Amino acid sequence: MVNYIKNLKSLIFFEEPEKIEEFILKESNDEGKAEIKEAQKDSDRTPELKKRDRSIIKKPMSAASGNDSGEEQGENKEKDSNNKHQPSAVKPRENISTSVEENLRYMKDIFTVPDNGDIVIREFEITFKGKPVKAFIILIDGMTDRTVINSNILHPLMILSDKDFKTGEDDIGEFVKSRLLPHNQMKVTEKYQEVIDEINFGGCGLFVDGSKVAFAADVKGWLARGIERPNTELVLRGPQEGFNEILRANTALVRKILKDEDLIVENAKVGKRSKTPCSILYIKDIANESLVEEVKRRVNSIKLDYIIDSGHLEQLLEDDPYMLAPQIIATERPDRVAAALTDGKIAIIMHGSPFALVLPTTNNDLIHAAEDSYIRFPYANLLRCVRILGVFMSLLLPGLYVAITNYHQEMIPTDLLLAIVSAREKVPFPTVVEILIMEVAFELIREAGIRIPGPIGPTLGIIGALILGQAAVAANIVSPILIIIVAVTGIGSFAIPNFSLAYAFRILRFAYILLGASAGFLGITTGLFLQGVWLTAAKSFGVPFMAPFAPKTSGGFSDEFLRPPFWKQETRPDYVNPRDTRKQPKISRVWTQNNSEGDANE
Amino acid sequence: MKKLMIVLLIASLLTSLLTGCFDRREVDELAYVMAIGFDKGKTNILKITFQIAIPKGMGGGGGEEGGGGGGGDKNSMVLSIEAPTLYSAINMANTTVSRQLNTSHAKAVVFSKEMAQQGIDRYIHTLIRSREFRPNMYMVVSRTSAEEFIKSVQPKLEGNPAKYYELTLNSYNYTAFIGNTQLINFYNAASAFYSNPVATLGGVNAFKSSKDFNLNDSTYTEKREKYPQEGDFRAGGITKYGELKTEFMGLAVFDGTKMVGELDGQETSYYLMATGQYNYAYWSIPDPKVEGYFILLNVKQSRKPERKVQMVDGKPNIHLKIRLEADILNIQSGVNYEDLKQLPVLEKSAEDYIKQGLQDMLNKTSKQYHTDICGFGAEEKRKFLTWEEWEKFNWLSRYKDSTFNVDVDLKVRRPGLLIRTIPSPTSEGNMEVQNQ
Amino acid sequence: MNNKVTFGRWETITVLLNSMGIPILLGFPRGMVELGGTAGWLICIYITVLALALFYIISRLYKPFEGMDPLDLGERIAGNAGRIIVGLIFFTHSTFIVSMILREFGEDMKVIALTVSPISFVQLFFITGMIVGAYKGIEAVVRMHSVVVVLISAGVLILVIFVMPFFKFGNIYPILGNGPEKIFGTGFFRVSSFSALIIIYMVFPFIKSHEQFRTAGFWGIGLTGFFMTLVTLTFIGVLPYPISLEQFLPVYQLSRIINVGRFFERIESVFMLLWASAALLYLSFAFIIILRIFQKAFKLPYYRPLILPFAVILFTLSLLPPNVMTALNLEAIFFRSYAWLTTFLFMIILLITARFVSKKEKGRIKT
Repeated sequence: MVNYIKNLKSLIFFEEPEKIEEFILKESNDEGKAEIKEAQKDSDRTPELKKRDRSIIKKPMSAASGNDSGEEQGENKEKDSNNKHQPSAVKPRENISTSVEENLRYMKDIFTVPDNGDIVIREFEITFKGKPVKAFIILIDGMTDRTVINSNILHPLMILSDKDFKTGEDDIGEFVKSRLLPHNQMKVTEKYQEVIDEINFGGCGLFVDGSKVAFAADVKGWLARGIERPNTELVLRGPQEGFNEILRANTALVRKILKDEDLIVENAKVGKRSKTPCSILYIKDIANESLVEEVKRRVNSIKLDYIIDSGHLEQLLEDDPYMLAPQIIATERPDRVAAALTDGKIAIIMHGSPFALVLPTTNNDLIHAAEDSYIRFPYANLLRCVRILGVFMSLLLPGLYVAITNYHQEMIPTDLLLAIVSAREKVPFPTVVEILIMEVAFELIREAGIRIPGPIGPTLGIIGALILGQAAVAANIVSPILIIIVAVTGIGSFAIPNFSLAYAFRILRFAYILLGASAGFLGITTGLFLQGVWLTAAKSFGVPFMAPFAPKTSGGFSDEFLRPPFWKQETRPDYVNPRDTRKQPKISRVWTQNNSEGDANE
Repeated sequence: MKKLMIVLLIASLLTSLLTGCFDRREVDELAYVMAIGFDKGKTNILKITFQIAIPKGMGGGGGEEGGGGGGGDKNSMVLSIEAPTLYSAINMANTTVSRQLNTSHAKAVVFSKEMAQQGIDRYIHTLIRSREFRPNMYMVVSRTSAEEFIKSVQPKLEGNPAKYYELTLNSYNYTAFIGNTQLINFYNAASAFYSNPVATLGGVNAFKSSKDFNLNDSTYTEKREKYPQEGDFRAGGITKYGELKTEFMGLAVFDGTKMVGELDGQETSYYLMATGQYNYAYWSIPDPKVEGYFILLNVKQSRKPERKVQMVDGKPNIHLKIRLEADILNIQSGVNYEDLKQLPVLEKSAEDYIKQGLQDMLNKTSKQYHTDICGFGAEEKRKFLTWEEWEKFNWLSRYKDSTFNVDVDLKVRRPGLLIRTIPSPTSEGNMEVQNQ
Repeated sequence: MNNKVTFGRWETITVLLNSMGIPILLGFPRGMVELGGTAGWLICIYITVLALALFYIISRLYKPFEGMDPLDLGERIAGNAGRIIVGLIFFTHSTFIVSMILREFGEDMKVIALTVSPISFVQLFFITGMIVGAYKGIEAVVRMHSVVVVLISAGVLILVIFVMPFFKFGNIYPILGNGPEKIFGTGFFRVSSFSALIIIYMVFPFIKSHEQFRTAGFWGIGLTGFFMTLVTLTFIGVLPYPISLEQFLPVYQLSRIINVGRFFERIESVFMLLWASAALLYLSFAFIIILRIFQKAFKLPYYRPLILPFAVILFTLSLLPPNVMTALNLEAIFFRSYAWLTTFLFMIILLITARFVSKKEKGRIKT
């Protein structure tokens, strides 16, 4: 009750908004126009944190529930709370002990070893200066590569350590690292936590008695899906490989395309418990540095337990969670990521997700498909026009139909009008109800088609729609012309290359049906206006969502609504304020010049 | 802020849904009027006739009902009501018609000749003021009563009368027997101070069978011709018999909004030529060399007519130059007019023929009807600087004194598929025509 | 934060074009015909030239006051009192116009399509647009302009092209219509048609430079003048003089006439989309300007709390006239005779005084 009153009050009365400095994408200083502002003044308190603070203030938690919602608490506090991990009464320790026994005990506690079945601990001895030294490795079965461990870690340690080394290190740690382990990726650390993190992520921990450092070898070897065709973004022309769930494989796929040492793959970890590794990809001398800072700031400031998919990350990073249109593109295609990177955008690849996030995103990017730049420009432009038509049909067609048949009958050609009337003669519902029934039915078929297992899916989609439509017409529940409208709308929505956008339009379509039914074209225009204002006000990482149309950005970036020939796309999009605006020189096809042979080598 | 936005949106949506839908009308809750007829009423001021489309009869390509074959299927119904005004008639009509009458698809307004002669000013304004009546409805003056005319509209080729009206009333493009008499054109011409309007003349064919044919209604005698040409008829009197009863031919000439006379089909062609609306039509020109033979031409207007007005002693002297192009469709006599030397003979005779007709038509409208249907006033208007002067000048009252100076320039361009005609030889051996 | 928002030249031009061009969609062409007869289109050219000249003077006078709107000027002249007085003058001016135009658009929609709906229901849609536009801020609305105004202009051009078959050159004669004294004498006051020019003064703080202010102003007036002339000319050419006096909604009447073949006719409802979007853009932008004037005049930290109450006030004001004829008449009297006083005369006086005052101040500092 109190809540309702509060909500009502907040509606009527004005609350002074907190001053949160909005991120505005500044021009890069390399562009030589404006000075760069230092990223964020109130860096100690990020907006995310503030929001969370406010939510805490709003509903004070009871003492009992307080500890469960760990995400809201500072790191130190949580480390102190012993009753947090119920089974482990282990006191967290920081530095690795020199005693292997102690280490072993501690590791066993941490991983709850007798209970935890897939933890493998192998104890053995190393010969160091003629004396046997106790050691053990710890790893998680199934996540590691057995042969690598056997031949690169256990074999040299147990057998080769017997060899007579010419130079002798005093420190056993140094000795193991530089002499004994022929493995290429080794991490040497004094901290338990780092070793544990590595083990959790398919590494192999090595503890040696007498050493104050531990080793973590990267022996990841879990089973993963191979590189397959992307499922959601199919193209006829262009590369056919898609991302899989392995972070490094994915970054490698991008690097394979962009053979450029300026391509930076920065690591970040998201999720306090899941510690999911992410990579932030950008090209050092193209991407705007404040944009990179902002992305890093947002990614690093995220506080939560587990993160499974980049879909989660997208929802945590986007500017306006209430906006229907997606503000970050998720793509399965490495070539698309690479193309975006060369435009000065930033990509985030997350371990465990075959979808990379590309940002900032504008409305324009959402209706472009990967294929557009691979096929010749007249074809691409045809496709774009068709696609725009599809977008408008999927958004407006049912609404327009309702508006026209209910308010503007004079618009329909007389013959068609009479045909519609005679078709509707036996239909008992008003047009709005009729169209809502069909739209809902269609949505049902769509959803069921995805959920239904295996090969029945597509069949259900087609047969279901056909039979349902036919039967509905025969039963005089809907008129045949309406089936056409709904079907065309459905087809239109499949023509939208970005499936998130298609979802958005599927929702908005219902709004337009209602608006069309309430005031005809006036309602639809008002709807379009509201949507337009909403979209133009939106920003994706400081970039206006409707750029480059509204605001119109200067500069020669030309891959907007229609695409010019590839050799004419000379500049990068101005709205991401890249450091280097030019993609190719004025004349990129040097052979067209007379003296091309001489210039070819320059 | 976000919450406010959302609540606002929902609130506005709800209000619009709850209180809204004032104007929402399903398509099948309306009755579509295709034509409206105005007659003098017996018991009241007006007798309004509505032709309402019956959508069921046209029920699409659906397999089940298809049969019909244009036989008994009625695709429209006619309703006549006596009422003081048009809107009262609409109201009264809904006492019996289950659906609300909607005139936004009306294609034709039919006035009976009787009504038109009394003046239709007040009815025209009703039609212009409402948004439901279209400005491109066709104005038709029926030589019979409007009710009878509308009742007789039973198209055979089309599924609905609307298409029939649209197509037949657009036929001026290729017959030149009627004018483009959309309501807006009529209204513009009627209210502007330099022209007078016309309306298409419609009628119900008078003949019960082809044996009854007579030429009582033909205008050929006025033109001192021996037998009627194709254009020497007015709607209703065309020597034609068939399943279609209604016909459109000729124009009703108005002075202001009062009908003062009629033009027949051929005069209508001349009217179209003089106003530059003429597109193309077939003409039968009497052969200049062989009596009783015709030369068939497809005559097009190659350029807009040149029109000049000079005031001589306060009387308008109108110069009209018409440029035409023609393709030969046939030369019945077989005279070799295709020959470059003979061609001018053909052209000259056609020019004279058309010129004579034009002259007659213009004289008829100015001397007999005193109306400037061709809008020559627009040319005179250019010479005035301000509207006040022009209004004082009073063109329409001066038009009846005008003299005409018509010049026709006809060029034969193409002979069709034959480049020369060789008459078939007969047993008498001679090609008789060649000799003359 | 507001000062960070800047408009490009293109955006300013489109805003000006839409705001000043809105009367074209309402009764403007008829008004021209009423005054000038067949020479209504000449008045359009005349007032465009006049407006350009006046704007030239104003932009010259504005030179030393880059980035200042009239309220700042008022403050410069007479401190707080000056600012509030100037603010109130502009506030009343805009409120009056906006409420009238809100009413007119509502009535138009009612006449065009929603004949049975109550006027308040029709206006509700516009009000919703205004409120949401105001919440989303000036930047979003202005950006909307830069896209949508192009589409609207294209729509108007298409309209003109399609009614061309009905255009008769004879209709524009006699060339001087109701006589030169009416065209060039009384016609002068019709420069009030450009009264929406005040928005360019109001958005000066958002415009990058004086140079841009000037070019945007000239282009805006020029384009508006072009469309005014074009539409009025078409209107006179298609509907001959005495008839053109009768039309309530000239542009709508033109769109009704269009028929190209049997299929492409009766498309005036499509033009309703144009009307409504032009109206929504104009109303929401003007609403923001009203709010800004009020906020600035009284130095309020936020304008958002004003949105709802002001929307209600505008809504109520717009419903005051008892019928369309009164509303039209009010708007006509205002637009035809008085609006230029605020837009041009008052502005020039204000600028001259501000110059005088600042010179004096300079002098004082020197001595």
